[in-house]
Amino acid sequence: MNAILILATGDSGGQIEQIASTFGVDWPQLISQIISFAIVCTLLYLFAYKPVLKMLAHRRDLIAQGLANSEKIREELARTETMRQDVLAQAHLEASQLIAEARDAARRLREQETQKAVTAAAQIIFQAREVAASDHTRMLAQLKREVGQLVVKTVAAITGRILTAEDQTRLNEATAKELAAR
Amino acid sequence: MRTLKQIKREARHLFRRCFVNGHLDEARVRRALNEMLAVKRRGYLTLASQFKRLVRLERFAHSADIYSAVPLSADLRAQVKTNLARLYGSDIRTSFSERPALIGGMRIRVGSDVYDGSAKAGLAALEKSFD
Repeated sequence: MNAILILATGDSGGQIEQIASTFGVDWPQLISQIISFAIVCTLLYLFAYKPVLKMLAHRRDLIAQGLANSEKIREELARTETMRQDVLAQAHLEASQLIAEARDAARRLREQETQKAVTAAAQIIFQAREVAASDHTRMLAQLKREVGQLVVKTVAAITGRILTAEDQTRLNEATAKELAAR
Repeated sequence: MRTLKQIKREARHLFRRCFVNGHLDEARVRRALNEMLAVKRRGYLTLASQFKRLVRLERFAHSADIYSAVPLSADLRAQVKTNLARLYGSDIRTSFSERPALIGGMRIRVGSDVYDGSAKAGLAALEKSFD
């Protein structure tokens, strides 16, 4: 470094020559080495450093894209969670409505069935009363008929014995008068 | 082949020809029947049966059955006969008979007319009123 500084300052050509000769510098060889070094550096830059940089940039892009994707995923997840919550809330609401409707329908059905049962019971009672009334009427008629038959039999059995000859004559004359009145 | 309708019509015609002065003449009836049986036309048995039926109905309509629970007095019988002759004609035949089942009173049947003043009829009416 010091030698270079000395060369740069350019105090004197003699000193440089002296130093160069002291350190054994062979200028053509140095220049050729510099050129070859430059070529190597260029080649390294072109075929090693640049692809590596390109690969690193690509990876950086990939990482940035991955981060962006993860952010998107997080946002999507958050949105999905929100939607899930919404769906759950909606489902809960609909379930509540369905339960309420089911309860309402059950209540209406129960009322209808109760009404039907009440109507059927009233009809059964009405029919039973009608049947009872009919039976009562029929039994009364049967009783009346049986009593009548008994009365007629009794009267028929007694009348034959209690009718006197005058009664018979009066009855016969009544029929004869009826015939005469025609 | 004569139909039953034709035979009935012929029987009615024969039957009408047996009337004399509005009364059925027994002699004509016998003669008509004898001729019918003698000639023996087709379906004469059916004709005779229809003719007999008409005669029977006529006799039934001009006969009176008088039933009573006890025997009727002669006056009452005469009164009944007179009234029946007045109502149904002098050719009406009367027949008196006793029927103790009537219990009391009298029952007169002339054709399809019935005069029932018996105690049994009264009781039957009473029994019917209980139905």
